[in-house]
Amino acid sequence: MRIFLVEDTRDVGEAISRRLEKVGHTVDWQTDGQAAADILEFTDYDLVILDVMLPGLDGFEILRHLRARKKTTPVLVLTARSEIEDRVGALDLGADDYLVKPFDFRELEARTRVLLRRRQGDPTNLIECGDLVLDRNSRSVRVGNREVQLKRREITLLEVLAARPGRVFSKDELLDRLFGFDENVNPNAVELYVGRLRKKIEGSSVRIVTIRGLGYQLVADEAA
Amino acid sequence: MKRRETSLFWRLVLRVALVLCGGATLLSAAAWYYARAAADDAYDRLLLGAAIQITANMTVDAGNLGVTLPSSAFELLGLAERDRIFYRVVGPDGRTLTGYDDLDIGINVTAARAGPVFLTTEYRNVPVRVAVVSRALSDPSFSGWAYVVMAQTTEARRGLAGELTTRAMILVGIMSLLALAGTVLAIRYSLLPVDALAATLRARDPQDLTPVEADMPRELKPFVGSINHFMGRLDERVTLLQRFIADAAHQIRTPLTALSAQVDMLEDDDLDVNRKRHLGRVRDRVSQLARLTNQLLSHAMVIHRSDSVRFKPVDLGDIARKAFRSTVPITVDPDVVVSFEDSAEPVFVRGDAVSLREAIANIIDNALQHGVEQRLAVRVRREDDRALVEVADDGPGIPPAEWAAVTTRFVSSKMGEGSMGLGFAIAAEVALAHRGTVRFLEKGGRDFTVILDVPLYREGT
Repeated sequence: MRIFLVEDTRDVGEAISRRLEKVGHTVDWQTDGQAAADILEFTDYDLVILDVMLPGLDGFEILRHLRARKKTTPVLVLTARSEIEDRVGALDLGADDYLVKPFDFRELEARTRVLLRRRQGDPTNLIECGDLVLDRNSRSVRVGNREVQLKRREITLLEVLAARPGRVFSKDELLDRLFGFDENVNPNAVELYVGRLRKKIEGSSVRIVTIRGLGYQLVADEAA
Repeated sequence: MKRRETSLFWRLVLRVALVLCGGATLLSAAAWYYARAAADDAYDRLLLGAAIQITANMTVDAGNLGVTLPSSAFELLGLAERDRIFYRVVGPDGRTLTGYDDLDIGINVTAARAGPVFLTTEYRNVPVRVAVVSRALSDPSFSGWAYVVMAQTTEARRGLAGELTTRAMILVGIMSLLALAGTVLAIRYSLLPVDALAATLRARDPQDLTPVEADMPRELKPFVGSINHFMGRLDERVTLLQRFIADAAHQIRTPLTALSAQVDMLEDDDLDVNRKRHLGRVRDRVSQLARLTNQLLSHAMVIHRSDSVRFKPVDLGDIARKAFRSTVPITVDPDVVVSFEDSAEPVFVRGDAVSLREAIANIIDNALQHGVEQRLAVRVRREDDRALVEVADDGPGIPPAEWAAVTTRFVSSKMGEGSMGLGFAIAAEVALAHRGTVRFLEKGGRDFTVILDVPLYREGT
């Protein structure tokens, strides 16, 4: 994926690029606001990471220019408390997410991953099953008014199971869907994720049933 | 040694009491003096009356002076029951005609020629009052001055004087007590505004450094003026200090982000166990520092906003959801069930969205840092006319004894590791600005719950 990073603090920019490049992305890094805005005029990226305090043109301006041209590129804004203070609008201005400096770099990587996946993902971000609503945008599952945060693999697992309620999925099948073929994972990982998912959808009419020796199945009680 | 506490009340009471005591003593002395004079006056008349009756009963018969003692004279004196009476009638030749011969107490009876003479003396070792009355006899056969000396012991007089004095003293005493009681009441009443002022100051929120405005007697005005002046200066200092802290935190932020970037770039793959452990510690400390810096900025921000931003109706559910999403990291432990539950009906409050979000975010952050083991639940609901944001976790919670302390700055809970930082202080600050509170619910088998409780917005309020 191509990521455009606009950050004028050298250490920070360097650390972000290093981290993202390590997981296989291409990172273009700019330190000047005006130059960054110019580049965004004619280059498309999969994700833009934008610092707010920049020489030349500030991050909010760049974001406004980008959105004014109807670009839907996901934007992650890096900001300080005192800056969001007057512009709660970081999100209203069209940023998809923001992180407050100083931030945790693992969190930055995780949020980047979410934004990139969201871009590739289905146009439908809501999947319903029984009284459950899976919202991929907010990475959560809703039962009534209560929404529970899910992890990436839990979402995948629920997606797989919810696509065919009642069908029994074998452990190996789920393992493939969750981790792909090349990852060397312990088959018990499926149990782990099923266990976590069960805990998180507790209270819903939908249950994950274990069929001994066969696998797992999603059952929606029609009692309601 | 401890210095004695001075009290305006006791000072005044003591002084008034001294004056009253002095006054009462003087009055009592005067009363005694007048009572004695009055008693003397009354009994002297009786004595005189009796003596005059005796003189009137003197007869000259054939050149002999005779006297018959009229019983009425003694009846008159008998009114003073316990007193004894002595008398002596002296003829012109100085002989005692009748009565006590030895009632010759060195008086010059001739002084009585001009009019009755009274004197106080002792007779037979008893104090007596003596009256001497004269009568000029001008019978052709017998002429000269005859005298009657009447003496009466003074018991009745003293009794009367004593009784009069006692009554007067009782009155004086009652008056003094009334005056003292009145003074006490008056002082208490006059000092009421002082208590009221103290209560006003005590009831004040420590954050509130605006001038004291209350109805004060003129005498207290300089005092209140000084307090206000002092608070004004304190307010300036506090504002300066807050700005300084915000600036400092802001300045720290950039190098801190850079520092955490550098730490992040340290590869720990090729480090031995020991160094890996040190690096881990450095990472923890850096993120702790980052958290604290953010809290400082957040604190400065909510304080600044609390008196500079106009409140408007905002949806607390919406704010809480935003706070929840931005605060719970994606990298949170996957075994923790993190949930958010909005109220079925909209929950509007009058407030500042940014401050409220900071408050909720900080409560959630605290739970994540110090509480959560398996479960973190954020709920927004309304209860009567209150809007509640509840953050419940299944961690150890905070013991009730520490509830009051954790909403003040940098107090560390003994249960958790290290300082709670500013999280609850920020939340409490915001709650206060919204006329609400931050409350805690005892674990009691269930989850430990922190509640941000603010009044619900109603049309027209």
